[in-house]
Amino acid sequence: MAEISEPSNPPLEQSAFDPSTMRKTKPGFKRLILTISVFSSFLLGLPFLWKSVEIYRAPLPFMDIDALSSQLESTPLQFPCSFRVIYVGFDSIAPRVSAEQLKSSILDEITELSSKSSLCGSCSNNYDVSVVIESGSDCSQTRTDASSCSWRCGALSASDFAVSLENGNDSADDFLEVALGGCSRSASGGRGYSVVVMNRDENVEVTIGKYRHAWIVGRISEMEAIPKVAEIFVKLFGNGGREEGLIPGEFMPVGADGKIFLSFNLLNADPDDWIYDWDFQTVDEVLLKPLIKELAPVANVSVESQVLYHTPTSSFSYWDDDQESYIFNTKDLPFFVNSNEWHLDTSIAAGGRSKILHFVIYIPSARECPLLLQLPDGQISETNGFISPMWGGVIVWNPKGCLDRKSKQHHRQMISYPELEKIVEVFLGQFRQLFGLKSDPQHVGLSGTFNILTSEKGFTKWEIDFLSRQHSCFNLHSCASSLGSLSRLVQSLPRMIILDEIGKQVKYSLKAANLAQRNASLGVFDAAAISSRQARSLAEDAFFHPSIMSVSYFSFEHCFAVYSPFFLPVALHVILAALREWKRYKQEHKKYLAFLAKPKQS
Amino acid sequence: MSQFYSSSMALLLILILILGLGYLGNSMAYGSPSETTMHTNNWAVLVCTSRYWFNYRHMANTLSLYRTVKRLGIPDERIILMLADDIACNPRNKYPAKVFNNENHKINLYGDNVEVDYRGYEVTVENFLRVLTGRHEVAVPRSKRLLSDEGSHILLYMTGHGGDEFLKFQDSEELQSHDLADAVKQMKEKHRFKELLIMVDTCQAATLFNQLHSPGVLAIGSSKKGENSYSHHLDPDVGVSVVDRFTYYTLAFFERLNMYDNISLISLFSSYNPSLLMSTAYYRTDLYQHKLEEVPVTNFFGSVMETVHTDSAYKLVPRKDSNEAEPELHQLSHHNERTLITSDNPDRSSKPSSRDERGGLTTSVWRSLHNKMEAIEDGDTFVNYGLVIILPFLGISMWLSR
Repeated sequence: MAEISEPSNPPLEQSAFDPSTMRKTKPGFKRLILTISVFSSFLLGLPFLWKSVEIYRAPLPFMDIDALSSQLESTPLQFPCSFRVIYVGFDSIAPRVSAEQLKSSILDEITELSSKSSLCGSCSNNYDVSVVIESGSDCSQTRTDASSCSWRCGALSASDFAVSLENGNDSADDFLEVALGGCSRSASGGRGYSVVVMNRDENVEVTIGKYRHAWIVGRISEMEAIPKVAEIFVKLFGNGGREEGLIPGEFMPVGADGKIFLSFNLLNADPDDWIYDWDFQTVDEVLLKPLIKELAPVANVSVESQVLYHTPTSSFSYWDDDQESYIFNTKDLPFFVNSNEWHLDTSIAAGGRSKILHFVIYIPSARECPLLLQLPDGQISETNGFISPMWGGVIVWNPKGCLDRKSKQHHRQMISYPELEKIVEVFLGQFRQLFGLKSDPQHVGLSGTFNILTSEKGFTKWEIDFLSRQHSCFNLHSCASSLGSLSRLVQSLPRMIILDEIGKQVKYSLKAANLAQRNASLGVFDAAAISSRQARSLAEDAFFHPSIMSVSYFSFEHCFAVYSPFFLPVALHVILAALREWKRYKQEHKKYLAFLAKPKQS
Repeated sequence: MSQFYSSSMALLLILILILGLGYLGNSMAYGSPSETTMHTNNWAVLVCTSRYWFNYRHMANTLSLYRTVKRLGIPDERIILMLADDIACNPRNKYPAKVFNNENHKINLYGDNVEVDYRGYEVTVENFLRVLTGRHEVAVPRSKRLLSDEGSHILLYMTGHGGDEFLKFQDSEELQSHDLADAVKQMKEKHRFKELLIMVDTCQAATLFNQLHSPGVLAIGSSKKGENSYSHHLDPDVGVSVVDRFTYYTLAFFERLNMYDNISLISLFSSYNPSLLMSTAYYRTDLYQHKLEEVPVTNFFGSVMETVHTDSAYKLVPRKDSNEAEPELHQLSHHNERTLITSDNPDRSSKPSSRDERGGLTTSVWRSLHNKMEAIEDGDTFVNYGLVIILPFLGISMWLSR
């Protein structure tokens, strides 16, 4: 190819001129420029190609995500709780104990009790205690800082409280809510819990109300009341009356999107014997609506119901003559639920990340009616029901007099409303059990037995407070771990497309998490629970975004195989041509230089 | 100098082409917190990755496992079955709508209640990985999702044609060991399982586990690297092989068991005889914390529900106002099999309170009307009466306007 540009020079006079090593004219640039320009146009195209195959990655706030998780790890959530003890009617007792003294001994007692429990969501780290001694004419109280509301002297009169006590515990509770509630609500975010200690000439009785109050009434001195007061604050108001080992803490019966579906199933084991139906609409409106409203901070609860037929159990019971009924042992309970015949999970409304809790009301067939559950110690179960964590609960309901009823009844019968109410009570017990709360009307503590009033809403105010705290804590941790996983995943896959939607979800999730933290530190538990739920749900949405999947089986060899047929053959030729031309030019140029140098030597 | 420059330019170009067009890092650094959670439920993901008639045995393998885990207590809603499902109704099948795993034809695997979640061309690597990682489109129903949690034990069974570190999906794609390991890692990261047993019946199955690094994973494959997995026997009636050796002996082991049995995993794993299998069953236990001697097979192949007795009901405060509602008033024909009430739904009942300010008369009229409305239980007849009443009004107005 060199011969084209090589000028055909006639042999000159100088015999030393060797056409193979030197030339007289300057070598031409034309070919070199052509090839270089083609090559450089390829090079110019590279950025465009680079740009066109670049994948879109929405910027994720990696720093903020790391900050959130490190913040949650270094400083655990502090929920401020304010406790107030009000002593009423302690005029006669001679050596007066000052309010400050009482406060310090209560604080000691609380620290001793709370060191044992370190459940996230309890008030154990951040609380303040105030003591009020109200005795007719004069009242003294401990100094309070500006954040908690100060006590108005005479806000609680001993005689009025005594009157309301005569009318029963419920009215006393309502009375306290009216008398003290104003303060606990207006306090700067912090919910106040109060215990009223009243000195009266009768046996000591401790009652926990359904709002945020408790009262100790009876023959008791100021100092004697202190262990009880401290236990109420720590174990009940702070810790929801929950005991370790009931259900492990990590099992939260709330879906990742903050929703719970309560699926109520009425199971007629054998409709050939009898068919029962229920008026679920009324149950829902009268008994479940208040519950759902009350639980709103913790979860978004929906209710569904269905009636199923032909649903035998997968294990069998035996006849017991003493009980005159069929007995099902609790050790066989794992085999009670017959998942292959009980088609419970038929919800169409529940999304993939919602939690469905199944509550089954099982009506046994004539062959095994009445059916009773027997505890390992031989006693018969009072509730005739059991739960399975994260799944739901089963209640066995025996129709009245089913043992004597031999004739077949093919018409539908309704379960009467009082019966339904009883069933709902057991359901509430189970539902609370799934949340880790106990339903005993009495709490046996270290310092005595406490009566606990029940709320018609299924959960008392202080239990909801506890659940809100606990769930905020759990949700925030889960949100931080989801976002952390996402950021690690995204950073380890630099070729993964990240849609704007994911970026937005992460942003809003972080925003909600920060809001939840702020609310928690202010003591607005329900708002903290709601925003932490949002944060968790958005973080899960971002992590489980379907578009993240597309990268997974897209290996390096795959990329090479896709792109190399397009570019490699052409690129190779262009590069080789440019190289060759460059080499040729250099060679020819050397020849020319040699020619120029020659006459001077000769 | 310029020589060097030009050659380095060329090198750079090629490097850019190669590296720039797609670098994929396979390693993901995940922290995995060790936990001691309670085992609450069991899931099974059963995958047959082959299609076409001559792969009859793979579908029979999967259906046999499906039947076994169902018999041992895992409910259908917690089994994800991925199956090409083109065998039972294949024109070449001499026994239409029946699938057998033995030439004695005793057990029809395609009997009633076979719920295939991913069928035919839905059995893809993408769908499989989506099931494992949980990254579904919003519209995917619950029955097609693996809704496991931190207390779940998952059995993952796969059968098909494979090779060194890959498993073919319906002759068009392949699942690589990296993909499987990545998916498992992400599952671990999101606490989607407590323990996972991966069981693979394919050629060189053991190579599929090479990249696994997540704790809590137990894996068993039908053959080591370089070995083939063979079919057990040919059914002369059907005309093809009906079951693979590894699966055949697994089933033979489970046929003796019921859901109450307490046999350990090691007895299953050691029951495979290399001379019968014609390959060496390989199991990997270095990621699994427990001793196989102490783990019953029902931890993975069955389902034992964790139950807690309910000690006490929550006594509601007696309600004075609403207890008197008579349930008998509601007609039986009106009962709904399934109702849905969402908590955020506003009350459907009319609210008279907003009109109270208008004055005593309207209020009382409204109240009485409202009470009457409430008293009428049967809405349909009320509407019918209303329609009947409208008719004379219509007639009068027409007569007047004439």
